[in-house]
Amino acid sequence: MAHSKTHALPEQGTATERQLQGPWRVVVLNDPVNLMSYVVLVFKKVFGFDEATARRHMLEVHERGRSVVWCGLREKAEAYAFTLQQWHLTTVIESDDPV
Amino acid sequence: MTPFKLMLSLPVVAPLLDVIKGLADDLRRTPALPHAAPAAEAEFSEMWAGELLAAQNRDVDVLLALFDEEFFAEGAVYLNTGNAEAVARACSAVRLCLRERCLSGVGDEALESGDIEQDRLDEPVRKAFHCYLFLATIQELIIEQMDE
Repeated sequence: MAHSKTHALPEQGTATERQLQGPWRVVVLNDPVNLMSYVVLVFKKVFGFDEATARRHMLEVHERGRSVVWCGLREKAEAYAFTLQQWHLTTVIESDDPV
Repeated sequence: MTPFKLMLSLPVVAPLLDVIKGLADDLRRTPALPHAAPAAEAEFSEMWAGELLAAQNRDVDVLLALFDEEFFAEGAVYLNTGNAEAVARACSAVRLCLRERCLSGVGDEALESGDIEQDRLDEPVRKAFHCYLFLATIQELIIEQMDE
């Protein structure tokens, strides 16, 4: 797991350090099996989204094939991805850093 | 969530349990989705996959526990805050497994819309599809109760 370094600015660190610090995106991908209402429930449970936000992300997944549901430090992004995968949603994390 | 009792038709549901139990055995060894860990390190990936599989097994055990002696005596299953989330996740795992192993010939579009001519399906596929719908119904009932 990643450790954050409070004393180093991202531009001063190595590429690896920048990747660990983020930002990282948690992306949910579409699947043909899980019910729309189930995906809404999962978003509400995992992220505490209200109904409208959860539905918006669910529709984005359904219509565009993917939705960025969270953005931030890698360690937390990994934890969210793990929880979403426990709920059987296809989830990946992506770095904003092109390195 | 308010606990609720679900009355099921034994002659309809009991045959579907054979399908669910068969897939549950597969799910003990294989994740419902081929989850990729977000890091390349082998040790991390192994730990990630192992923990997901263990969680999946716990959920499937909770689903199977619904169909106990009381279910076979009177067709009743009980859902509450202690088991509902695990059952919803397990239903998802079994449905994903059904699609992969039993319903691949049906096609994703038809599965998603439910627009399927069941009379044209072979018996094992029809039974798998009924199981797929049954598990979705359980999920919908749980979600309705959680939303209240």
